[in-house]
Amino acid sequence: MKLKAFIGIDIGSLATKIVLISEGRLIDHRTERSTYDFKRIGHNLFDDLLKKNDLNREEVFLMSTGYGRNTIDIADDRVTEITAHAKGTQFFFPDVHSVIDIGGQDSKAIVISKKTGNVVDFQMNDKCAAGTGRFLEVMAHALEVPIDQFGDLALKSNKSASISSTCTVFAESEVISLFARGASKEEIASGIHRSIARRVAGMAKRIGVGPKLVFCGGVAKNPAVKKYLEEELGYEIETPEFPQLTGAIGAALIAQENNTN
Amino acid sequence: MDDLSLLSDLSLFLKEKKANGVKIVAYLAHDNIPEELLDAAGFFPLRMMFGGNDDLMDASHNFLPPSTCAFAQSCIGLYSTKPNIFSFLDLVDFFIVSNHCVSDICVSEIISKHFNIPRLDFYVPYTKNNSSLKYFKLELLELKKRLEAITGTEITNEKLFESINKYNEFKRVLLKVNELEILGSEKLKVLQRAMLYGPEFQPDLEKFIQYVRENPSSLLETSKDILFTGCSIFVNDNLVDLIEEGGGNIIFFDTWIGSHYSSQIINDSSIQTEKDPLDLLVLKFKDNIYGDHTVPNFLEQKVALIENYYQKYTKTKGRKLGVINHIIKFCDHISLLSSFLKERLQEKGISVLNLERDYSRANSGQLLTRIEAYLEMME
Repeated sequence: MKLKAFIGIDIGSLATKIVLISEGRLIDHRTERSTYDFKRIGHNLFDDLLKKNDLNREEVFLMSTGYGRNTIDIADDRVTEITAHAKGTQFFFPDVHSVIDIGGQDSKAIVISKKTGNVVDFQMNDKCAAGTGRFLEVMAHALEVPIDQFGDLALKSNKSASISSTCTVFAESEVISLFARGASKEEIASGIHRSIARRVAGMAKRIGVGPKLVFCGGVAKNPAVKKYLEEELGYEIETPEFPQLTGAIGAALIAQENNTN
Repeated sequence: MDDLSLLSDLSLFLKEKKANGVKIVAYLAHDNIPEELLDAAGFFPLRMMFGGNDDLMDASHNFLPPSTCAFAQSCIGLYSTKPNIFSFLDLVDFFIVSNHCVSDICVSEIISKHFNIPRLDFYVPYTKNNSSLKYFKLELLELKKRLEAITGTEITNEKLFESINKYNEFKRVLLKVNELEILGSEKLKVLQRAMLYGPEFQPDLEKFIQYVRENPSSLLETSKDILFTGCSIFVNDNLVDLIEEGGGNIIFFDTWIGSHYSSQIINDSSIQTEKDPLDLLVLKFKDNIYGDHTVPNFLEQKVALIENYYQKYTKTKGRKLGVINHIIKFCDHISLLSSFLKERLQEKGISVLNLERDYSRANSGQLLTRIEAYLEMME
């Protein structure tokens, strides 16, 4: 049976993203919290996507990516999120040179060959949460600010409190001592966002990232991280329309490439 | 042959040695400890090449901060928890340590102090000019005297020449293992076993080589070939399995467990002409281009050796070759050099994955992603 569409599913530690691509166009997508049951969430999203788009299992190719790529047994193939993000960002920005992806559990920097569009180098954060979406979540919780308002709060301050700890746990204690010393919530929020931007920019510079640089992953929706990353890197960076979906889109595009050539 | 059976066999082997009155000298510093001298003195040199896990590293934190070399943490963990499979460490009579690696010094001090194992010091110069070589010989003489004082027996030149020849022959055979076209995990297990048992393993090694030559394995054509460099993979570490799970196969171990150790061969003409066997050990020290704590030119030599192997391999095999540089967390000198090494090799068109990690099994998923992404990059 001829394949009608290509589905990419990016199972991240915090969110699962699924997209449907047909003839190189993004047709449909879904995002849901991954919870502890990656497999069930993945199956539900996949079934829903097929149903809503009136497709049978045999008519689609499912490519999984992300932290939980090996857990979804219905996938036809899998690819790492590094390769998937590189491909997915090219969907939005064909002339991309570098990618910074900050997800819930990890952050990564990728350099892409302009000639081939393939990954030429990459760097991932270590197993600690600093420099990831989880770091922002913990800090937003400590400041009692909803996560979707955290970036805006940071940008209200023209001063950034200094957060020197690179460890999430120590940084949380540092935030409490900053409060005790009279720093405002906005200043602290700004300092937290600067610390994540500094850490990720440092990691990215080590592999020679440069413009055009695309910032993706869930954290790319945070305006303060984007602004401070631009300041650390010294140039403007781009954010795609759906920054959380680039991995899933990349997986679907790779599936399409592998099955049409 | 898994790690558990290797360790269990080693335990029996060492118990037998002890029962025959042989003293066991464990050592950490990998590159310049004169095994030949220890052997000639009648000791059994036991290389500490056991990797850890989360429990062993945690167990070391009563003695070391968590930001210490992961290998150092594991060694202390082995002593402080004494897991059953490592109970043979109770049989160790002495620890010998050189000054090349600061972590090794700390580990040996802690083990000597808290676990009552006497320490023998062997200080090694960081460079190889004439004064350093004279100093190295003086250290060899000191160690020789100490070993003789312990046993009450003179280490004769004849005995030392015999040991030098024995280790030379053993390493010649060992060199052939790295060239065999077998699965990396299988090769690693053989190299590890050989380096733990020493020349006594040589007959088994020869049989193994012959068996592989007569029964060539059908390597998966789809696996990606890897040259593995940096920190060695120790016994009880699952890294090689992760690399194979990700679709890679280590075809060459450019590490101390691998080509570095087996290349420490003293040339026959020097053995025939040299009157003093200690001078042969000095020569071996001088010619050791793999001493990663030695200055200057270590990086240049390493880049040249990898490039040479890479060019030869890709030309003769017609296959792509990836390079994984293994960096054990907080192993400072490997870590600091890693970005220079990567940069220099990339300039020559050789891609490198700098794989920094500790022995934790908890981040296997993230490690696998890095390995798989690198292998995808090679496509």
